Amino acid sequence: MAGNNIYLNQSTEHGNYPSHTTNEAQANHPVENPAQGHGQLAPGDVFPTLLSNLGNHRQISFFNADISELPVIIYDSKVGFHAYSSSSSMVNQKLFTMHQDAHGHFHPPIRRAVDNQPVSLDLSVTSLIVFEWIAIIVVVFLFGWVGRKYKKNPTKAPSGFQNALESLVVYLRDEVVYPNVGSVKSAKTLLPYFIGLFCFILLCNIFGLIPGGHTATGAIAVTGALAITAYFVINITAIKEAGIGHWLKHLLGGAPIWLCWIMIPIEIISMFVKPFALTIRLFANMTAGHVVLLSLIGLIFFFRLSNGLGVGLAITPISVGFSIFMYILELLVAFLQAYIFTILTAVFVGLAIGEHAHEEEHAH
Amino acid sequence: MDLGTLGAGLGAGITVLGAGLGIGRLAAAALEALARQPEIAGDARTTMIIAAALIEGVALFSCVICMLLVVMK
Repeated sequence: MAGNNIYLNQSTEHGNYPSHTTNEAQANHPVENPAQGHGQLAPGDVFPTLLSNLGNHRQISFFNADISELPVIIYDSKVGFHAYSSSSSMVNQKLFTMHQDAHGHFHPPIRRAVDNQPVSLDLSVTSLIVFEWIAIIVVVFLFGWVGRKYKKNPTKAPSGFQNALESLVVYLRDEVVYPNVGSVKSAKTLLPYFIGLFCFILLCNIFGLIPGGHTATGAIAVTGALAITAYFVINITAIKEAGIGHWLKHLLGGAPIWLCWIMIPIEIISMFVKPFALTIRLFANMTAGHVVLLSLIGLIFFFRLSNGLGVGLAITPISVGFSIFMYILELLVAFLQAYIFTILTAVFVGLAIGEHAHEEEHAH
Repeated sequence: MDLGTLGAGLGAGITVLGAGLGIGRLAAAALEALARQPEIAGDARTTMIIAAALIEGVALFSCVICMLLVVMK
């Protein structure tokens, strides 16, 4: 779950709300976060506060403990290029300002101190980027380690973890890449890309489900970047396989030339809709699960703040039960979406190549 | 609660209707194919998952639009 640090305190942005609860009742509530004691929250603000945890953060937290602040890298057309080891050191240098909430957490946008305008480019390392890096390191380390094992003694039967990775790779090769890409030559070239894609998305999805983790694939920038890569893979493979002439001809979609005024725009749109659909699908699937999960947990706090302790306690088992169900469903979705992203990219590559092969048949 | 939020809620509901119908019909057809020809189980499953993902993609487009209605009002 992205951002497990579920604070139910009012943040400075929300202003002052009338207290609906007494402090004694708060102290006795068993399911409340320890941070609750600091402030009061109106029932209507439970969900916005919870959902604000889904986004990008400037620090790494584990539940309520902040582990470390993350580096800030800024490029600005007026002030120039600056890098700081953390948000607080940036604020201490007084060149830039950033909003800080009651817990000491920083919130973008970063502004120039001189004229209070947002900076041109904020390239900071954020929590999502950290978890992406962790996923990359794990993938590279695991496959490097297993690869070395194969190089050392190629004739020995695989054992332990090597076996698990081998069955994954063989499954992806035989069931996903080769049958869908079609052309054996391209499939062989693209196999490492598809395996990397699957493992990276899967790890990013699963990191979002462990406590303290963030879902990098729940950010549209990350899925967008993955889809842009897929776009280039699809089109470059098609051009390599069938040549630029056939690739341009495919823009006609096999229709006669006088239909070009309608076919070419449609084909160009369809070329861009495919990666766009990949982006939205992965992003929305990963985000929707977290939103439902946080909303179910939020029900406990909502009923406790609006209807009192008894109702809150009564709703807890139902809410926790549904949350566990959603969590297991999300585990399934994490695997399914990694699989779907990979297989759809393979299908699109196969379609792009296959259309050319088809046109070639017509030409002869 | 303004009308935009109401529209977003209604939109999400109607989206779910369409997506549910689509995926339901898809699953029914796949099940019929499987009952008739159990040996194509693997192929049918893969094709079904791809088609379901495409239907779901369209449904998620509209869910994102509904979300934008609420967030960007």
